[in-house]
Amino acid sequence: MDNIYRPYLMNISDMVEEAPGVRTYRLNFLNEDEGKKFQFRAGQFALYSVFGYGECTFCIASSPTRMDYIECTFRQAGRVTNALRELNVGDTLGFRGPYGNVFPIDEWEGKNLVFIAGGIALPPLRSVIWNCLDLRDKFKDVTIIYGAKTVADLVYKHELKEWDARDDVNLVTTVDPGGETPDWPGKVGFVPTVVEQAEPSSNNTIAVVCGPPIMIKFTLPVLEKLGFKQDRVYTTLENRMKCGLGKCGRCNIGCTYVCKEGPVFTAQEINKMPDEF
Amino acid sequence: MEKSLNKKDFDNFITSLRGKGYKTFAPKKNNNLVVLDEVQGADEISLDHVITNNSIKEFFFPKTENVLSYRMEKNQVQIEEPEGFAVKAVIFGSRPCDAFSLPVMDKVFNWDCSDKFWVQRREAITIVTIACDKCDSYCFCTSVGLAPDAKQGSDVLLTKISSDNYVVETVTEKGESLIKEFESVFSGPSSDSSDRQVATVEKKFEIEKVKPWLDENFVHAVWTDFSLKCIGCGACTFVCPTCHCFDIVDECTMTKGDRVKNWDGCQFKMFTMHTSGHNPRSTQGERWRQRIMHKFKYYVEKFDSILCVGCGRCSRVCPADMNISEMLEIIETEASQSENKE
Amino acid sequence: MIEALRKKAEELLKNKTVSVVFGYGEGSTPERTRPVFITKPEEVNKLTWNKYCVYNLTTYLKRQETRKLGKPAIVVKGCDARTLIVLMKESQIKREDVYILGVSCDGVGDPLAEKCKACDVHTPRIYDDLIGEKGENKELPFDERYAELDEYENLSEKEKWEFWQKQFEKCIKCYACSNICPLCFCDRCIVEKNQPQWIDPSAHARGNLSWNVTRAYHLAGRCINCEECQRVCPVDIPLNLLNKKLAKEAEKNFNYRPGYNIDDELAMSTYNEKDNQDFVR
Repeated sequence: MDNIYRPYLMNISDMVEEAPGVRTYRLNFLNEDEGKKFQFRAGQFALYSVFGYGECTFCIASSPTRMDYIECTFRQAGRVTNALRELNVGDTLGFRGPYGNVFPIDEWEGKNLVFIAGGIALPPLRSVIWNCLDLRDKFKDVTIIYGAKTVADLVYKHELKEWDARDDVNLVTTVDPGGETPDWPGKVGFVPTVVEQAEPSSNNTIAVVCGPPIMIKFTLPVLEKLGFKQDRVYTTLENRMKCGLGKCGRCNIGCTYVCKEGPVFTAQEINKMPDEF
Repeated sequence: MEKSLNKKDFDNFITSLRGKGYKTFAPKKNNNLVVLDEVQGADEISLDHVITNNSIKEFFFPKTENVLSYRMEKNQVQIEEPEGFAVKAVIFGSRPCDAFSLPVMDKVFNWDCSDKFWVQRREAITIVTIACDKCDSYCFCTSVGLAPDAKQGSDVLLTKISSDNYVVETVTEKGESLIKEFESVFSGPSSDSSDRQVATVEKKFEIEKVKPWLDENFVHAVWTDFSLKCIGCGACTFVCPTCHCFDIVDECTMTKGDRVKNWDGCQFKMFTMHTSGHNPRSTQGERWRQRIMHKFKYYVEKFDSILCVGCGRCSRVCPADMNISEMLEIIETEASQSENKE
Repeated sequence: MIEALRKKAEELLKNKTVSVVFGYGEGSTPERTRPVFITKPEEVNKLTWNKYCVYNLTTYLKRQETRKLGKPAIVVKGCDARTLIVLMKESQIKREDVYILGVSCDGVGDPLAEKCKACDVHTPRIYDDLIGEKGENKELPFDERYAELDEYENLSEKEKWEFWQKQFEKCIKCYACSNICPLCFCDRCIVEKNQPQWIDPSAHARGNLSWNVTRAYHLAGRCINCEECQRVCPVDIPLNLLNKKLAKEAEKNFNYRPGYNIDDELAMSTYNEKDNQDFVR
């Protein structure tokens, strides 16, 4: 019988410093057979472990359309992420997953897509963004609205440039007032305000929102005002998790286990949940 | 054919089991406590207690266990699987409520994927239960659909029929083959087998009324009011046979380490706290609500079982005399009042 | 006494001297009481006083949920009142933050709690009101107060080690001992800190030893012997034996009884140029 707590061993093959305290690792399976069998879909998460320090949870940040590696982006905050940051290219870490549900992108075919992210919440959306961009023909207009506290805090700076340069992506970037630099070409303002100004059409459109609770709280009413129905708005939640498998008993919001029934939820589903975020 | 087991043959049973390589666990006095613990012979077994202080859970889900070990050298890691955690054993003299907790917990530990540490121990251990011939005011098994002589979860059930004789009922195939293996220890049917000495456990509330009320009352003053005296420790969850929450941590030296699964509890403030300091359940009222909701609503919705067997241990040990059946009686009363209003 | 207590509580709530009374109420069995928090004058009949009032209610001064209720009047026995003195000396509460309802006490528990056998504070040494007869507190001699330790101290070092190993083996890390302790008031306990991980979180031999020893050390020279840790331990570890031993050593070395004389300086956090140990100077 398999040990469900046993992680795959992964090699760190590349890393990028994204922003102060934020880093991306590219991971490859040490055992190639495991790598070949491994499958995941956009929206899923995993438990990453630094041996000797423990496990931590975050989304897979790379796209399932690019299957020869997995990427994760994390901000150093607690015991494990601090240890994770001490690692380097060539080091080994543990990876358990993929867990949780997925963004139903098959259902989004033929629709416009609006991705809205704040700060360190772009990584969970990056997987689904690249997934959709790699299948670009299947979708109509793609808009990405991304904001961070300061210019330095924006993650995936190279990819933002790449998206900005594409004709088939409408990228809007913003930083909080006071976070701009003299040569900042983007907008200055909080994400909800910028969404209101950008006024993405809700007609035949799916919105995907991810960010700190306060950003989500103020963005959802804006989307409603723009005419987005609650079942057309998706988000991905996080909660403290230990097993990722519905057993350790701490990630539930009311009756819903974020690790199994989430992390992807529609605004409609979230509004039905008890206030326990 | 119905069998019986005389108290004087308990020792023969235990020693025969040990002779065949079974580990044997039974209720045993330890200063002020009676604990399920390893016994060598029947002279160590306590029979005059209401319930053991520890629950049966620790034999399947120990307070701490390695789920994997590893060695680290430079940037290489080698994982080693734990072995020998499931040992052939018989738990003798556990209570029906404890036995009942096992099939309830099977559901979560096998939810979509199986926790082998739980499952393999379940396979290795046979449960010989002794029906309760006494109870105390904390017992409420009859309120959650059990009985002091409930069979579910046991492999064999013994029920007292006289001061030194017990009637033997096999419940599962595993129990059947155990009895067969040790047939010589058991006697034939007893003449007084109809005179079963089973405790009468008072029914304290109507369980049917609880969930519908919980469905409607996530927000209610009772959660805070009732839990004001709670000190936020983990005693209730750790002594509970059905509280299954755990933590996973790494413990290591420079070159080797273990990934360890430890009991954890929803009453601790750190249980749900995010690294950012944000806490979805930041007050004791919310944490107490979680405990009740998990047991009497969430688990029921997910697995069609109540996550409580009415053993009363949480109430017995609570440092502040929080009493779970009292909470459920309050809920029942609230439910009846709102029914009357309608 | 119960009537006097209820009357006083009612008066304090009615004239709004306090917003809540922390007291003892009837428990779930006749042999138990439970903490109650009375906020309305008409509810004072829930208050009781009997030999089962073992709790040290001052622990609710540290909990956010009960702090939110506003200024409390708190029912304290002589031993519990010592906690208040320590909390004041350690700047956790101000004298005016609590209204002290002292009760004179002949001992609690059935059988009589160990802590009561060498009690010399039958009447609280600090209070705003005293319920019951004011008795004379005659300080017991040092040896008599620590007589409980005689048997333990006669053990050899090896026997002591074996004794504690056996006791700590039972620990399940439920932290009832620290959560009930009115003097364990750190917002984030050392066991909740993991950078670095000072104490192994697991309930194995190493983790249990480091936890139980650390807990006791943090109370050395502070513990007032309310015995609550020991009372609440679900696996029956004689925790107060450790506390008491450390209290004895602290008193022997610093001539200090926590919470006894309000004017005494704290043993563990007072700087004194004449300290008899070099490292302080």
